[in-house]
Amino acid sequence: MERSSIPSAQPTATERFIAFLDARVGLKEMQAKMLNEPVPGGSRWAYVFGSVLLFLFFMQAVTGILLMFYYVPTADHAYASTQYIIHEVDYGWFLLSYHFWGSSAMAVCVVAHMSQVFLWGAYKPPRELLWIVGLALFGIVIGFGFTGYLLPWDQRAYWATTVGVEILDKTPVLGDFMARFLKGGPTPGQLTLSRFFVIHVMILPAALMALAGLHLFLFRVAAPAGPFRGTPEEIKAKTDYFFPRQIWKDIVGMAVVFAGICGLTFWEPVVLLEEATPDPGDYHPEPEWYFLFYFQLLRLKIFSGEFGQFLGAVALPAVFMVLLVALPFIDKDPERNIFKRPVALISWIVVMVVMALFTVSAVINREFLD
Amino acid sequence: MADERESMSPTSIGLGVLWPACWTGLPIKLVIALLAMAMGLMQFENRLGLAFVMLLASPVTVFAAPIITMAFDSHFGEGIGVPLLFLLSIPIDIWALGVVGRTFFLERFRKEPPEGLGLTLWWRSAVVGAFFLPALWFLMSTVTEIAMSTSHSVVEMESLRFLFSTGLPVAERIGLEVTLWGTVASVILIVLLTIGVSIIGRIIRSAAEAARPAPENYQGLITRWDLMRVPADQGLLLSAFTGTGVVLTLLFWAALPVTTPHPHECCKQPEAKVQPPFKPLETLNQDEQLIARLAAQVEELERQKAETEAGKDEKEKGTGKIQGGQEAAPPAVTKP
Repeated sequence: MERSSIPSAQPTATERFIAFLDARVGLKEMQAKMLNEPVPGGSRWAYVFGSVLLFLFFMQAVTGILLMFYYVPTADHAYASTQYIIHEVDYGWFLLSYHFWGSSAMAVCVVAHMSQVFLWGAYKPPRELLWIVGLALFGIVIGFGFTGYLLPWDQRAYWATTVGVEILDKTPVLGDFMARFLKGGPTPGQLTLSRFFVIHVMILPAALMALAGLHLFLFRVAAPAGPFRGTPEEIKAKTDYFFPRQIWKDIVGMAVVFAGICGLTFWEPVVLLEEATPDPGDYHPEPEWYFLFYFQLLRLKIFSGEFGQFLGAVALPAVFMVLLVALPFIDKDPERNIFKRPVALISWIVVMVVMALFTVSAVINREFLD
Repeated sequence: MADERESMSPTSIGLGVLWPACWTGLPIKLVIALLAMAMGLMQFENRLGLAFVMLLASPVTVFAAPIITMAFDSHFGEGIGVPLLFLLSIPIDIWALGVVGRTFFLERFRKEPPEGLGLTLWWRSAVVGAFFLPALWFLMSTVTEIAMSTSHSVVEMESLRFLFSTGLPVAERIGLEVTLWGTVASVILIVLLTIGVSIIGRIIRSAAEAARPAPENYQGLITRWDLMRVPADQGLLLSAFTGTGVVLTLLFWAALPVTTPHPHECCKQPEAKVQPPFKPLETLNQDEQLIARLAAQVEELERQKAETEAGKDEKEKGTGKIQGGQEAAPPAVTKP
């Protein structure tokens, strides 16, 4: 009681600075809103993928900016500057390899995040918009991978891009325009490199930041879906705030992903092939490993010929994406438990098995071609 | 709820403890692995996925991994860092199994976790793994090998060839083969893993049978296991965690090679090589030069040959005269 009569100590400089900011931007209210979000059913490891994706994007931006200090986006110097980064710049090999494997990690985490949302039934009302914006973000991540692949300007980059643009060319109405716009000429050259570079470092990051902001906003409006199993009593008993347990899990998730990417850089640092030329020599063009399943799928006889190519290159992915967009509107059943949604569970397993099967087939096919 | 607890299968018990325990210990093991890789203490071969699984499941692979390496000569990494990593995984796994085991006992069994649960679960899991995993390895290798050769033979069958007018295309053939042997191998692997997890589940259940029931209601149990994961002195833990993070970061940057590390002799990646590009004009010029050079050589050889032959003829003529004289003489001598 006596202590309460003692006048409180003067605020420190930090406290005064925080109070200054708080009075102007509502810092404490913002902090409370960000950290005190209730997580129904408590924190879970399955929820870390969204935060991990933000972390990955941040790291890709950091390593990308550092690489841009040395990289020259011209057809004459792109290859040489990339070789310079790998062999001459201190830790350049690590930055480039981290950036390379980071893009793979982004693709993996996006699929993991989408799978979690799908299996948890978290796309159902009122979270339809959240799902659709998430799909757009998925497209952006794929776009990052596609445009970034050309930048080292070696044979692998050149021919993967050539094949990719040819696939794009088969899209009705817009295909020809998109292919011509991206290539900027009959064969990939300086204009192609410039356009891919601008899309990779300007347009896609801006689009990703805007859509990620919208995604987070919609997430906060709709609130987390929570687990799909458990009685209301159990969920209520386990409900917790975002801080500290979910944040802790997110940090551990980020550390694991960081360590994993670093491990991959040690295991297989980026090595360039010969400089890009319009002749593939004995090189068999193929895309990045996460597109291999689709590449192998297009090798099937059913997808040969004019109609077959259209079917495989355009119709199949378009139908798949339309189905994903329409999913919350088709699936109106409020049941979220994946074990009570056999069609959803079987569909997911089929998609994953097909992806795994054709990826392995593509690797065997590569050995066959070699 | 009580029925559900009593009817829990050994497989779901084993999976309920092993799965989270493996992931709980992984971040710490990954940090050690990363440092060892940065210092060049260990190199992984092409089977990085296998190495990751071995590290993830170290509560059961800790003894099994060296047995598999020795018995089947099938290793996944080189360097002192590999055994060191597995050695350091032991206390981490004991801790992880303890945390997860205690939570599982309280939440799912609603029983008091016994003292030293982590250690008990670890040594029993490790011993089971030491016997079970090498057997699984042997069976899987054999089954996969047989399945691959069988699927290859099936695809080669004449009856299948007739299904396609021009024979089975390469992509379809590879896809069919992978589906055939992949299905067989996956089914066998899932069955064997289920058996293995079920054995661990029986061990956990036997430990739970001896434990006494927890007195609290569900809310109380949740609060208790939740608080078990919160450190008593959070400030101290945060400081220790930050300090460790800083030290590890400094160690990592100090150990990180400045230039691209060369792979160890044992673990070189297969290099993707590209043939030099075909340049028509240069190639044509080179070919023309080569043809001209070869033609000149042929001409020179012919000239030399002609000269040699001419010299030989002259020589032969010369010797022929001598020989003719010599040969002509005897008949004259022998002429009666």
